[in-house]
Amino acid sequence: MANIQDSVIQREHVLATTELSKAVANKARYLQTLAAAIQDQDDRLVYQLIDGERYSKEILQAKHGSSDERNEQLVLDISDKLSQYLSGNLIAYLRETYPFFYFEQTSLGHFQFYFGNWWDRRLFGALDVLKVKFNFDQTEYKKLELAFKLETQKKRLNSDKIAEISQQTDQLQSLIDSQDSRDQEKEKVRLQLKKLAQDKVLPWEASKAKEAKQKLVERLSFLTDQDEKAQQAYKIIRESEEKVLVLSKEDTLIGYEKQSIVAKFGSFENFTARNESLYRDYIADLIATKGRVKINE
Amino acid sequence: MNEKDEKKTVTFEPKVEDKNEATNKSIRESAATLSTTGRLMSYNQELKDSLHNGIHFTQLLDKLVQTKEPQTLFEAAQKLVNYHLDNSYLVFPQQYSRADFYLIFLNRLLELHNSEKVILQSSDRNRELYHEFPGINTQGYFVFQLEKGTTDGAYYTEKNSGEIIFYLNFHKNIVRFNSRSLAQLLLVDYPKKIRVEAIKSFENYLLNLGRFFKEDYGFDVDFNLLDPSNSAVYQLSNPQISHSIIDQLFVMAADGGRMLKVGPQNEAILNLNGGTVVTLFDKGSQDNAGVSEWVIKVNDTEHQVSWFDILLQYQFIREWYLDNLSDLEVRSDSLYFN
Repeated sequence: MANIQDSVIQREHVLATTELSKAVANKARYLQTLAAAIQDQDDRLVYQLIDGERYSKEILQAKHGSSDERNEQLVLDISDKLSQYLSGNLIAYLRETYPFFYFEQTSLGHFQFYFGNWWDRRLFGALDVLKVKFNFDQTEYKKLELAFKLETQKKRLNSDKIAEISQQTDQLQSLIDSQDSRDQEKEKVRLQLKKLAQDKVLPWEASKAKEAKQKLVERLSFLTDQDEKAQQAYKIIRESEEKVLVLSKEDTLIGYEKQSIVAKFGSFENFTARNESLYRDYIADLIATKGRVKINE
Repeated sequence: MNEKDEKKTVTFEPKVEDKNEATNKSIRESAATLSTTGRLMSYNQELKDSLHNGIHFTQLLDKLVQTKEPQTLFEAAQKLVNYHLDNSYLVFPQQYSRADFYLIFLNRLLELHNSEKVILQSSDRNRELYHEFPGINTQGYFVFQLEKGTTDGAYYTEKNSGEIIFYLNFHKNIVRFNSRSLAQLLLVDYPKKIRVEAIKSFENYLLNLGRFFKEDYGFDVDFNLLDPSNSAVYQLSNPQISHSIIDQLFVMAADGGRMLKVGPQNEAILNLNGGTVVTLFDKGSQDNAGVSEWVIKVNDTEHQVSWFDILLQYQFIREWYLDNLSDLEVRSDSLYFN
């Protein structure tokens, strides 16, 4: 009995050895292929190896990938290094296709980008090198999107806000400008009050006089309120100017962004479409470039 | 001999009007050791010296007016602006003032360089010389005002407005241009009533003056915002300008059809016509000084464009500069201008 058991165990062990060897060989083959691809500077193959599923779906138009996802997990801990390696060609490509994005490395394999080369350009998002994808800063991106929508109304992003502040400034300015006429009116009201206090009032006119006095007092307090507002107006106007500057600056920035997009892509829709097909376009470009290199050799 | 019988000789004393005092004085002085002859000789010597002093003055004036030698011209002018022509023995009723000599000197200096554009005029009303500039004409009446407390320095001033254009000192060998007055006069007042070509020509005249002082006499010249050299660094009166001031330029530039760009070290760059580039940058952060120090530079291939030229030519930049003058004003030498 013992012998039979032994031989079973032995057979199982042989099987286990074979299975494991196969599995390890599979992984080794994967890593060897990857190593060779890197050695050959075959970025296309690297992309295929690190995300076979996506590659099959988007490039080969296949429903299921033939690759083993678990192999891809082998390189998870070196993804920064992979990203750094792949960024070289990718950013060179993006500089041509998106000439208005300016990339800046933040750490190994990580990049952010600015929109434009103008003063105080906006930080517009981060680049996912492994996924060949822009992760736009949603706040900034939405402002741009909205600015394109407002174009049909012939408005800029902050047109309404600026108009509102300008109107307020105009009102405050007229409050300041009308100081003289207010001073004159106050003088007049004071005189009337004085006269009212001096005049003899017949008993049956007392309530009427009281009413008149009340009206004058109210008018006077209204006028002094206006005076106070006028005094604060200078400060508010200065603050408004600062606000308008911030808003106009943003409009100017976004104006440049829109111009850049229209100049390169024709419309915002084309721009977003290109962003979505970026992975496909880039792999296609890698294939085409590789072809050219071979021809040149 | 009886001393009391002898009449005392009364010596003629010039410029003494009070007879009693004169008599008293002569009696007093009779006790002095000086003899009558001695006194006369001494008086005569004073006259000779005074006349000689006058002759020497005319020789200097000859040189100032006629010499072809820049160095001789300078020495003559340097002496003339400090010359004491009158003394108690000899007075010349018709004289040019010290301020006039500065003006005459400038014209001669320009003449030696064949670039005398400014016209030396004589005002009968004010009994003085003044400069008139073609194109600016009656809008500019330029004279020198002497520095108080010293005889060496003078301010070249537009008399109607009181704007001081530059300071000149023959002994310290310096010329200092004044950014505030140059801006007020040439960028605010004149553009309203004077053709830009005339302003430009006036600027060239000032530049030439500075150059001649530098080249002929080795003066230390602070051209301030007129300096056309690419290496000129225009320092701002507030080196820690706020970000929003540059934002303003960004917006105004966009309205003026120009883009204010950002450079690799966060400098603001404005590309203008003919390859001229204006850069605003934080010298402090580039030098790692810890404190920000914003400055302006102007670059052009010919080294011919100054910050002033930019302000004159581009309205939106001029507006920006004048709107924020308390921060952006180019610093002038605080020893001579406040």
